Amino acid sequence: MQELLDPVVLGQLLIGGLLAGALYALLACGLNLVFGVMRIINIAHADLMLVGAFAAWVLFATLGLNPVVALALVVPAAFLFGYGLQAVLIERVVGRPLLASLLATYGVSILLVNLGLLIFGSDYKSVPVWQGSFVVGEFVIPKPRAAAGAVAVALALGVYFFLERTRLGKAMRAVSEHPHVATICGIDTRRIRMIAFGLAAAMAAAAGAMLSMIYSFSPLTSADFIQKCFAIIIIGGMGNFLGALYGGLLLGVVEAYVGGVLTTQWAEAVAYLLLVLVLLVRPTGLRGAADVR
Amino acid sequence: MSVRQLAVAAALVAAAAALPLVASEYHQSFMLQLFMMVALAQAWNLISGMTGYVSFGHAAFFGIGAYAGALLLQYGFPWWLAVVKGALIAAAVSAPIGLLTLRLRGPYFAIAMLGLNEVARIVATLWVDLTRGGSGISLSPALLPGLSVNYYTMLLLAIAATALVAWIHRGRFGLELRAIREDEGAAEMVGVNTVRNKLSAFVLSAAIPGAVGAVFVMYTSYLNPSSAFAASLNIQMIVMVMFGGTGTVWGPVLGAGIVMLVREFLWAQFPALHLALLGAMLLVVVLFLPGGVMSVFARRKRMRPEVITRESR
Repeated sequence: MQELLDPVVLGQLLIGGLLAGALYALLACGLNLVFGVMRIINIAHADLMLVGAFAAWVLFATLGLNPVVALALVVPAAFLFGYGLQAVLIERVVGRPLLASLLATYGVSILLVNLGLLIFGSDYKSVPVWQGSFVVGEFVIPKPRAAAGAVAVALALGVYFFLERTRLGKAMRAVSEHPHVATICGIDTRRIRMIAFGLAAAMAAAAGAMLSMIYSFSPLTSADFIQKCFAIIIIGGMGNFLGALYGGLLLGVVEAYVGGVLTTQWAEAVAYLLLVLVLLVRPTGLRGAADVR
Repeated sequence: MSVRQLAVAAALVAAAAALPLVASEYHQSFMLQLFMMVALAQAWNLISGMTGYVSFGHAAFFGIGAYAGALLLQYGFPWWLAVVKGALIAAAVSAPIGLLTLRLRGPYFAIAMLGLNEVARIVATLWVDLTRGGSGISLSPALLPGLSVNYYTMLLLAIAATALVAWIHRGRFGLELRAIREDEGAAEMVGVNTVRNKLSAFVLSAAIPGAVGAVFVMYTSYLNPSSAFAASLNIQMIVMVMFGGTGTVWGPVLGAGIVMLVREFLWAQFPALHLALLGAMLLVVVLFLPGGVMSVFARRKRMRPEVITRESR
């Protein structure tokens, strides 16, 4: 216990937590974007992340590409995949009752997980690049974690500025504010939804490619991550982009401290405990709109 | 229930009851699993089909019943008491969970339930003193009743679950549950006690998997956290109900029968393929046949299909 009060240990846990949290944040932002724009909870979101992780693994195993370089291929491909998925499947459940969209994305999730198991098996994979660590003062930061954290922050902020500053981004926010008024203003809401889903898939896949450098993963890994994602967007507020950023960082740090004090198995359960706590105390989240309930 | 439906039900029950006289052990095992899935599908139907509160975590109650049954059998309780207590313990655990989660509407409830099964599995793995953790519990054959007892108990549970849903469906309670599904605010406005109704449905729908879990452990004689809290069980329950017809009495029976037969033909060598196929089936039903197979019959007879119509917001 004594060593946990040591500022170096505390700082080290904080750095690790923030770097993991940045990745969570990138993942959760996509989920929140989809919920904001079309009021659909995409249960398959973490499976899209694993599509990115396996794509990075395949590119590393065959071409020897570093996952950070592979992003140039993975991200556009994932965008097109998400765009197509929305056009063919998800578009059909937009505006339908909650049960329909929940079960449709659940079906996509089951399909992706088990296709993954058929193709890659259930053995854990990893992409070992960039051995070694940066040493900053008394803190040690493994290189892959630093790179993944930096990429995640850059991408999440990039998408944030896209939403805030560009015309298309503003249209997207308009659709999530009020789809009918957006239509009246001449926004093609169907196209916006497809772009939003493509963007969400691209962010998830980028998170997956970064994840592949840090953790070992199998098609079944998505179950843990979707739970964490839900915890994050509930903590941050559903449909709120910045909320997902804060929630992701918060979860990363809390997990790091719980993992340091107790065991990693408890760290796994922390997301769920936080989720239930927030749901019961303040279901709209830290930054959520009051009307979503 | 019409006279014709009653006649069909009686014929099905009679056939199922007579089957062990002629069928091999393999086929009896298949039927036992079919009864199990009928009961589980009806349980999911009771909460999610009737009230529209989508539970992704009902396998947790199955696992709790299975552990309760296994431990009670080990302590020397008779098998029937283990089954009854399995149901009671699952119901008792579900009450506080329901009290907390049913306050949440729509997506929030679904998300809260999604993790329940995972948490239950983590608890079962970590609580080694009670459950022996990951190494699991093996029951000696001397403690267990034979296949025929398991067969008829599971049959009885399937019948009881279906009868319960039929009884609720036609009565005031069922009407109130459907009112909650269609518009909870309006239901409350006209005097439906939504909290009590939802909680009653939730606890009943947890008691069924509890009993089924206890019989399941008598049948397999071995239990570990991943067999008790199998995520695939959730998937199967949901797909079967959706395929047959949500919120109907016969939909889950039909859905369980069809899905089990499909599974039988695609069987064991390809578990991943089988689950992928279930995912695809779920997608197809949700997108193209939201009322399930039952809605086809209903349409032919010019009845209103039981499609869920509540808006998402």
